[in-house]
Amino acid sequence: MSAEWFGWIFDILLALALPVLAWRVLITRNLYQAVILFVAFGLLMALAWVRLEAPDVALAEAAIGAGITGVLFLDALGYLRDRRRGGEADERG
Amino acid sequence: MTVILNALSAALILAGAFFFLAGTVGLLRFPDVYTRLHALTKADNLGLGLVVLGLLLQVESLSEGVKLLVIWGLVLAAGATAAHLVARTALEHDIRLWRRRE
Amino acid sequence: MSGLYLGVASFLLLTIVVGLIRIVRGPTPADRILAAQLFGTTGVAALLLLAQGVSSPPLRDVALVLALLAAFAAAAFVRRAWTGGEE
Repeated sequence: MSAEWFGWIFDILLALALPVLAWRVLITRNLYQAVILFVAFGLLMALAWVRLEAPDVALAEAAIGAGITGVLFLDALGYLRDRRRGGEADERG
Repeated sequence: MTVILNALSAALILAGAFFFLAGTVGLLRFPDVYTRLHALTKADNLGLGLVVLGLLLQVESLSEGVKLLVIWGLVLAAGATAAHLVARTALEHDIRLWRRRE
Repeated sequence: MSGLYLGVASFLLLTIVVGLIRIVRGPTPADRILAAQLFGTTGVAALLLLAQGVSSPPLRDVALVLALLAAFAAAAFVRRAWTGGEE
């Protein structure tokens, strides 16, 4: 009985946190912050798939959503910054 | 015997949960990157360690137990690596150390 | 016992949700990546407890993948995307 009850608490927390987090990812103007919020979103999404009894989808979400995509986004941000610096140097030169 | 095992396992898991709480409170309340790093590594290593120990008392097969230990080992390695990288780079980028105001 | 596992898992989820405040507030990018690192570990613990609580062993593999990829985000951030001090 209490297990079922705690299961409900878990689900309600997830259902409240996920839309708020998704909204923050979309409206945040700071790109680094948005990427890290996106990684946290992927983690919570993986937990949601677990609660929906789809562990295989949760596995993919944990690997792709929380892992690889975050790394690729961060790498892309570093690349963008390098490009911007390079561009400024060219203008000065 | 089962009762004792269950009680021990519950105590270990609750102790682990306490360390995660301490880590989160530290992350929110501590004043700079380095002190937050300190709070975080405690939650990583001890919190997950105690939870894994508590769950180890409940495993039914050897492979399950080994998998739990591998997970803990991976998180230990990842936490140590990330902590060193972040701390060193923060120092290189001159993020100031927090000092108590006199 | 499964009530305890699910209860502690819910509690860990709550600490993740509260910790989101640190990602939103910063102030340095390093603080944000530290929060993400803590979420990864907390997520692993929550998944292990869920696996025991609903007796579904495949969830341990999800936790394993999460633990495996935990260091990558922090490493990528430090090596590639670090912007320096406070914004």
